[in-house]
Amino acid sequence: MTEETTAPATPVRPPRVPMRRLHPVSPLVRGWAALLVGLAIVVEGVMPGEDFGPDIGFLGGLGVQLGGVLAIAVVVVLGNVVGWFFARFSVDDDAVHLHTGVLSRTQRQARLDRLQAIDVVQPLIGRLFGLAELRIEVAGGADSQVRLRYLKESEAQQLRNALLAAAAGVEYETDEAPEAPEREVVVVPPGRLVAGTALTGTVIALTIGAVVLLTGLGVAALLPGVPLTLVLAPMAGIGPGAVVVIVFTVANQFAKSFNFRLAESPDGLRVRAGLTETRSATVPPGRVQAVLVSQSWLWRRFDWWHVKVNIAGYAASETQQTSSAVLLPVGTRQDVRDLLALVVAGTSGPDGPRPAVDPAVLDHALSGTGEAGGFVTVDRRARWLDLLAWRRIGYAVTDRVLLARTGLLNRSLVVVPHERTQSLGLLQGPLQRRLGVVTFRLHSTPGPVDPVVPHLSEVEGARLLREQGARARAARAASGPERWMQRPASAAGVGLGADQEPVLVDEGDRAARHGGVAQERVQVDPVAGDGRTGLPGAARGDEEPGLR
Amino acid sequence: MDDQPEHVEEPFDPEGVRFKRVSPRLIWVRLAGAGIFALVGIAVAVVLWLVLDSAWFLLIAAPAVLIAGFSAVVVPRQVRALGYAEREEDLIVRRGILFRSLTVVPYGRMQYVDVTAGPVDRALGLATVRLHTASAATDATVPGLTADAAALLRDRLTAAGQARLAGL
Repeated sequence: MTEETTAPATPVRPPRVPMRRLHPVSPLVRGWAALLVGLAIVVEGVMPGEDFGPDIGFLGGLGVQLGGVLAIAVVVVLGNVVGWFFARFSVDDDAVHLHTGVLSRTQRQARLDRLQAIDVVQPLIGRLFGLAELRIEVAGGADSQVRLRYLKESEAQQLRNALLAAAAGVEYETDEAPEAPEREVVVVPPGRLVAGTALTGTVIALTIGAVVLLTGLGVAALLPGVPLTLVLAPMAGIGPGAVVVIVFTVANQFAKSFNFRLAESPDGLRVRAGLTETRSATVPPGRVQAVLVSQSWLWRRFDWWHVKVNIAGYAASETQQTSSAVLLPVGTRQDVRDLLALVVAGTSGPDGPRPAVDPAVLDHALSGTGEAGGFVTVDRRARWLDLLAWRRIGYAVTDRVLLARTGLLNRSLVVVPHERTQSLGLLQGPLQRRLGVVTFRLHSTPGPVDPVVPHLSEVEGARLLREQGARARAARAASGPERWMQRPASAAGVGLGADQEPVLVDEGDRAARHGGVAQERVQVDPVAGDGRTGLPGAARGDEEPGLR
Repeated sequence: MDDQPEHVEEPFDPEGVRFKRVSPRLIWVRLAGAGIFALVGIAVAVVLWLVLDSAWFLLIAAPAVLIAGFSAVVVPRQVRALGYAEREEDLIVRRGILFRSLTVVPYGRMQYVDVTAGPVDRALGLATVRLHTASAATDATVPGLTADAAALLRDRLTAAGQARLAGL
C-alpha cells in the first residue's frame, strides 16, 4: 500500500538547492509582532502621571515593565530561533522539500508539476531587512502550501524563477534561471482604486447607517424632556467610530490593492500589489479554474469591473488573505477583455488567433439581457421567481468556455474554461418541479467562484448537462501537459525568450499520477533519532495508488 | 435493478442510462437512528409517567414518535430513489424525491475514492463509496452498497480514473 512519493528519478542534474536553512534574521522578523505589542505596553506605561509606588519610583517602574516585556519578546524570538534552527529546505528537479518541527517533525514537499501559483510576499518589517517569503501553492487541499519564511529578497526572486522554470519544464545552460520577460497588461491607478473602494456596498451601507443613527439622535435631542447628555454621549461615540471603521475598511482594501499591476510572461500571469505588505504572485498558464467578473451598481456609470478567480490551493490555504484570488480590483471593460484573453487560451482560426470569448459576446455577457449573444435565459414558467433578473440570468457557450451571467443591478459573470470542469450537477426542488425547471451547477475547485445557472427549463437543463459533459471531455483530452512549456509552442500563446526554448522531456511521466503534496508527520522519540528515519509513505490518498 | 421507462430529455433520467439501485437494507441503516431516537423518547416518557404518576408525560414521546413515523414513510422512498450508473466516461449519481439531484463525475477528474462503513452499515454488510474530485462541491456518494459491490465499484472506478487521468 505504501506509495513511494519521493520516487527518485534518474538524477539528470544535482539538486538546484541543497538542504539548507532559512535566513538567520527570520526569527526576528517572525517575532516582530510580539516586540511591537511589548513596546506598545511600555509606551503606555511611560505616560506621565503614573504612580509606580513609593519604593521604586518612575524610572524603576519603567525598568520593571521594560524587563518584563523584553523577557516575553526574548522567549518568543527564542522559540522562533529554535524553530529556525530545525527548519531546512531543499529544491530538486521534482519538488520543494521543507522540514520543520522540533519534537514532531513535519516533512512537506510540493511537487513542481502540480504547482498552482508562487507568491513572493514581503511584509513591511521584512522589507526593512530585505527579506521576503516564498509561498508555493500546490493543489493539495487545505494546508498544502509550502511557505519559506524568510529568504533574502534576491534569493526569493531567484528561487521563484528557478522553480517556475523547473515546473515549466524549461532547460537552461546558465547557473541561474533567467527571469521570464514580462509585458504589462493592466495597471490600476490609485485614484480609481480609492474611488472604487469607497463606492462599494459595505462602505455606503456603513455611511448610511451612521448618518441615520446620528440624525435619529439629533431628532431625539430636540424632543422635550430628553437630557442633552443622554444624546450627546452616543453621538460622540458613533460619529468618530463610524468614521474610523469606514476609513479603516477603505484603507485596508487600498493598501492591499495599491499599485496593482498585472503582467503576462511565459511563466504565466504576474500580479503585483501592496502598500505596506507587497505581494508578487505568479500564476502559471492554465491554473485559473474559474473567473468571476462582477460589478456593483455603484460602479455602473464608470463601467468598472472586479475580477476574482478560483485557483486550486489558494482558497483552502488563505482564509483571511483572499487577495491573491483577485486578478483585478477595479478595472475597465477593456481590462476585463485583456485579462480574459490571458486567463483563457483562445483558439487559432483560419484568419489568425481568436480570443476565447468574442468581444461582442463578452459585451452581451457583461451587460446584456435577453437572448442576444446566444444566451439561454430563465424558462418562461419560472420568470416570476426572478422578477427582475430573469432577463439577465442565463448561460452561453463558446468553443472554449461556459459563460453564466446573473444580476440586474449588481451584475456578475462567471467564465469557466471547458477543460477546467470538475463535475456537473442538476438540482430540482419541489417548487421547481411543479414549474418544470432545474438548476444547473458546475463544480469548480474551492474559491470565490461558484458557477450556477438557476431555473432553466428541464429540456435546456438536460441538454446543457449532456453537452457540457461532452465539451469538457473533449477539451480535457486536448489540453496541454502540466509542465506548460512542453506544449507545442504555438499553443503557448506567448513569445518565448531565447533562453526558454521548450524542451520535451519525460512526457506523461509517473509524476502526473502522484498528488501535488505528500505530507508526512512523524512522531520522533526525542532520544531515538533525527526525525528522518523510516518515513512511511503516509501520503494522503494512500489507499488508492495512482489516483492522487 | 429494474427497467426504467425511457423518456426523451427527462433531466433526472437521461436517455440510455440505466440506473443501478442500492441495497434495500440501507433503509434499515437509515431508520436505525430514528428508531433509537423514538425509543429513547418513549422510555423517558414512560419513566416520568411511572415516577410522577401523570399520563400527560406520555406526550413527551409524541414528537419523537412523529419524527420516527415520518422517517419510516420517507426513508424507504428516498432509498429507492437512490441510483447510480457507470457510463463509459463518467459516473452518474441520482438521489432525492422532493429535492432531486443528479451528479455527473468524469472518471478523469477523480482524485481519490473513499470506502466507509459505520457500525450499523457493517452489521448489515453495507458500505458507502464516495468519489472526490478537486472540487469540494462534488457530492458523488453512493451509499448502501454491499461490501463486495463497494469493493468492486471502488476498483472499477480506480482503474477507470487511472486510464483517463487528467490534470486539474
